[in-house]
Amino acid sequence: MKKIQYYISALLLVAVAAMSLSSCSGDKLGPTIFPDVDETLDPNSYSYKLDKFLKENYLDKYNLTFLYKMPDISTNMNYNLVPAEYNNSVDLAVLCKHLWFDVYDKVAGEDFLKTYGPRIILLIGSPAINPTSGSETVGLAEGGIKISLFKVNSMNISNFQQMNDLYFHTMHHEFAHILHQTKTYPSEFNTISVGRYDPNNWQYRGDEVTSLGFVTGYASSEYREDFAETIACFIVYTDAQWDRMLELASRGWATSASDDDLDAVYYSYYYYPENDAEQDLVYLEERYVVTETDEDGTVHKYYRNNRDKNGNRIVVYDVEDKDGIDGSAAILQKVQIAREWFRTAWSIDLDALREEVQTRQATYDINELRKMVYDIQ
Amino acid sequence: MKKFLNISLASLVTLAALSLSSCSNEVDDIFDEDAVTRLDRAKAEYTDILTSDGGKWQLEYYANDEEPGYIYLMTFSKDGSVTIAGNNKWINYVKSGSMNTPAFGSEVSMWEVIADNGPVLSFNTYNKYFHLFADPYDIPSAGSAQTDQDVNENGYGHEGDYEFDIMKYSGDTLYLTGKKYNLNMIMTRVASTVDDEMYMNEVVAMADSFFNSKIPQVYINLPNGQRWIVKEGASSILKMFREGDDEISTAEYHNVIITHDGLSFMDAQTLDGYVIKNFIRQADGSLLCRDDNQTTMTADELGTIFTDIHNTWRADPAGAGGQFASLFAAIAEELKAYNKSTLNYAQIVYNENTSVYELSFNIKKGSVRYNPTYYLTLTSMSDEQVSYSVAPQGDRYGETYAANCPSIRAFADAMGAVAYDLSANSLLSPVNMKLTQSGNAANYVVWNLQ
Repeated sequence: MKKIQYYISALLLVAVAAMSLSSCSGDKLGPTIFPDVDETLDPNSYSYKLDKFLKENYLDKYNLTFLYKMPDISTNMNYNLVPAEYNNSVDLAVLCKHLWFDVYDKVAGEDFLKTYGPRIILLIGSPAINPTSGSETVGLAEGGIKISLFKVNSMNISNFQQMNDLYFHTMHHEFAHILHQTKTYPSEFNTISVGRYDPNNWQYRGDEVTSLGFVTGYASSEYREDFAETIACFIVYTDAQWDRMLELASRGWATSASDDDLDAVYYSYYYYPENDAEQDLVYLEERYVVTETDEDGTVHKYYRNNRDKNGNRIVVYDVEDKDGIDGSAAILQKVQIAREWFRTAWSIDLDALREEVQTRQATYDINELRKMVYDIQ
Repeated sequence: MKKFLNISLASLVTLAALSLSSCSNEVDDIFDEDAVTRLDRAKAEYTDILTSDGGKWQLEYYANDEEPGYIYLMTFSKDGSVTIAGNNKWINYVKSGSMNTPAFGSEVSMWEVIADNGPVLSFNTYNKYFHLFADPYDIPSAGSAQTDQDVNENGYGHEGDYEFDIMKYSGDTLYLTGKKYNLNMIMTRVASTVDDEMYMNEVVAMADSFFNSKIPQVYINLPNGQRWIVKEGASSILKMFREGDDEISTAEYHNVIITHDGLSFMDAQTLDGYVIKNFIRQADGSLLCRDDNQTTMTADELGTIFTDIHNTWRADPAGAGGQFASLFAAIAEELKAYNKSTLNYAQIVYNENTSVYELSFNIKKGSVRYNPTYYLTLTSMSDEQVSYSVAPQGDRYGETYAANCPSIRAFADAMGAVAYDLSANSLLSPVNMKLTQSGNAANYVVWNLQ
C-alpha cells in the first residue's frame, strides 16, 4: 500500500510538472522582425540601380550591408543627424569600391576584406556635432563591424582634398582601427610619443603638432588614434602633402601667447621690426615669408613686400626648435612600425597599398565610375 | 509516508499554481495575429493609402514649438520616391543664402513606411528643402549667416523630425507624431491635379493677406464679446493677451501655420473657455474658427483704423470713381495749365501738433514738391462710416492752389460734404480702405495705408 501511495504521488507530480512545462506549447513564433536580406530587388524601384550595385559589389562579395537610407536606430540618438543625399550616396558607393575595396583586393587578395572588412558601412548626411565642445565626428568605427561616414551631404566631388579629408582618409583610418582591434600592433608604437598626447585639447592643436611627432592634431589625442591616423595619412596623402607635413614637423614653433592658451597661434618664423634686434621680435606667418637662395647655396628669408625705414628688406628668421623632439623622425618611425606590422601581421605591403591608392586617386574619372551604377539595366 | 504525501501535495499545489501563472502574459485573447504580421499589414496599408489617388498630400509641418509651421506638398510614388515641395524663407536660404522672402523649392528624395514600435513614415534620403529642419547646424537669425548674432544652435539646428509615427488615419487625414521630438502633425490628401508651385504660391499669398505690419494688432473676437489682442502676426508666432489685461505680464506667444485655406494654431488654445485651433479665411478677408464656427479674427473696426491718428492714407486717380475720378482728372489738367506741375497723390494724415486731420496734395514741379493742405475735422465716426467737416481756409499753398486749381479745393470740399461708408480689401488686414459717399456708390476713393 505504501508503495502504491508512493507511485500515485510520484505519478501526480510528473503529470503536473508535465502540464506546467507544456502549458505554453501553443505559443506561435512569428517570422523574424528583421528585414529579409534575401528580399528580391524591385526593378521598378527608384533606387533599383544603386541597390543592385550594392548587392552585387558589397553584400554578395563581402557580406557587407551598405546603408544609405537612414536607419536612425543605427545611430546615436543623442545627436541630430540627417540622411545622406541619394546622388552623393551613389558617388560614395562607387568611390569606396574603387579607392578602398578594389585596392585591398589587388594588394591583399580578394579574401582579405571579405574576412576582415566591416560588415556595415553607414552613410550619414550631416556631421555628428557635439554642441558642448563644438567638435564634429566625421567617421566612426564600432567593434570592427560598422564604419559610419558622416557629412555625405557636404561632399564636393570636385574637391579631392575635401573628399580625402572626409572619406578616404576616414575609411583607411577606421579600417586601421578594425585591423588593430583584430591583431594588436607592437606596443613599441605607444612609446614614441609617450607623454605628449592630449585627449582633452587635441582639437586646439594646429600644424605645430607635427613637430611633436604627430601627423595630425587628432593623432595626438591618444595612442590608437595616432596609429590609425598615421596609417591613413600615409596612404592618402599625396607625395607633396606628405613631404610638406614632414617639413612642418622639422620646424621650430613658438607663440607669443601663453602656452596654456588653447587658442594660441604658433609660428615658425619671426623678424625684428626695422631689422633692429634690440626690439622685441614679431612672429610671422609663412605666407608672408619669401625664400631666396644664393649662388653659393645660402638660403635667405625675407618679409614679403616689407622693408625697413632705410629701404632694406626685413630679414626673417626660423624659430628655433626647442622641443627636443625630431618630429619628422618620430613620424617616420611610426610609419615604419606600421609598415612592419602590415607585413608581418597581415602580409600586406603598405607601400604597395599606398602606391595603388595614390595611382587611383590621381586618375579616377567619377563619371566613368558612376556608370557602374547608372548603366545597370 | 504521511510526511511524503504532505510534501507531495504541497508540491502539487505549487506546481499547479506555477502552471496557471506561467502564461499570464499571453496576448492571444487580444489580437488574432502576431505583432509581425500586424505590423507588416499596417506598413502595406499605409503605403497603399499614401500612394493611392495620385499620392499627393499636404503636411502641416512643425520643426519645434518655437517656430512657425510650414506647409509642404508631398507626392508619394510606389517606386519609393517622393517629391517634396515647399515655399518658405528657409528654402530661400538654401537656394540663395537670403531669407528675406520665401521661395519655392521642390526636390525628389525617398520614403518608406517602416516598422518600429508601430508603423513609421520615414523620409530616409536627404531632401534639401525638407530635411533642412533636421540639419544640426547653426540657424541664421536674419539675412545671412554673417548677421547671426544670437544663440549658436550648432549641434541642434531646428531639431525637426523627418520620421513620423503614424498614429491613425481618418477622413483622408493622417495623424502623425514626430518620432524624436514628439510634435503632432497632420497630413491631408490633396487632389493629384494640383500644381505644386501654384498651390504653394497661393499659401504664401494667403500668409501675406493675413497680417500686415501696417496693422500692428488684430483681434480674436470670442462669441461672448470678449476680444483677445493679437500682435506680431506677420511672424506667425502670435503674441496674444486678453483685451484689458496687462500686456507685459499676461501676453503669451503661440506659433501658427498658414495653410492653403486659413490658419491653424500648433496647439488648441482655450480663451475664456472657448477652444480654438483652426481658422478658415472668409470672403471678406476675416478668419472664422472652424472649431466653433463663431469666433473670428479681424482687425479693429474700419472707422477706428481709418481715423487712427497714427495712420497715413494716400490715394491716387487709379483708385477713384465717379465724382472723385473727375476731380482727379480736372486737377491734372489745371496743374498742367497753371505751372506744368503734376499730382503724385492725395494724403490724409493726423497732425498731432494741431490736433486736426490734414488733407494734402503732393504736387511735383521739376525737382520741387508742394503740398497744399486743407484741414479736416472728424465730425462722426462709427464702425463702418466716417464724416468730416472742412475748414474754409487751407495753408498758404492750399490757398494758392485753390485759387489757381479750383478742383483741388473742390476735392477737399467733397470730402467734407457727406458721410462716407467704409469698406476694405480685408477685415483682417484693411490696408486698402474704400470710402464711398453714403447714398451714392459711384463716388468713391480708395485710400491706401502707408
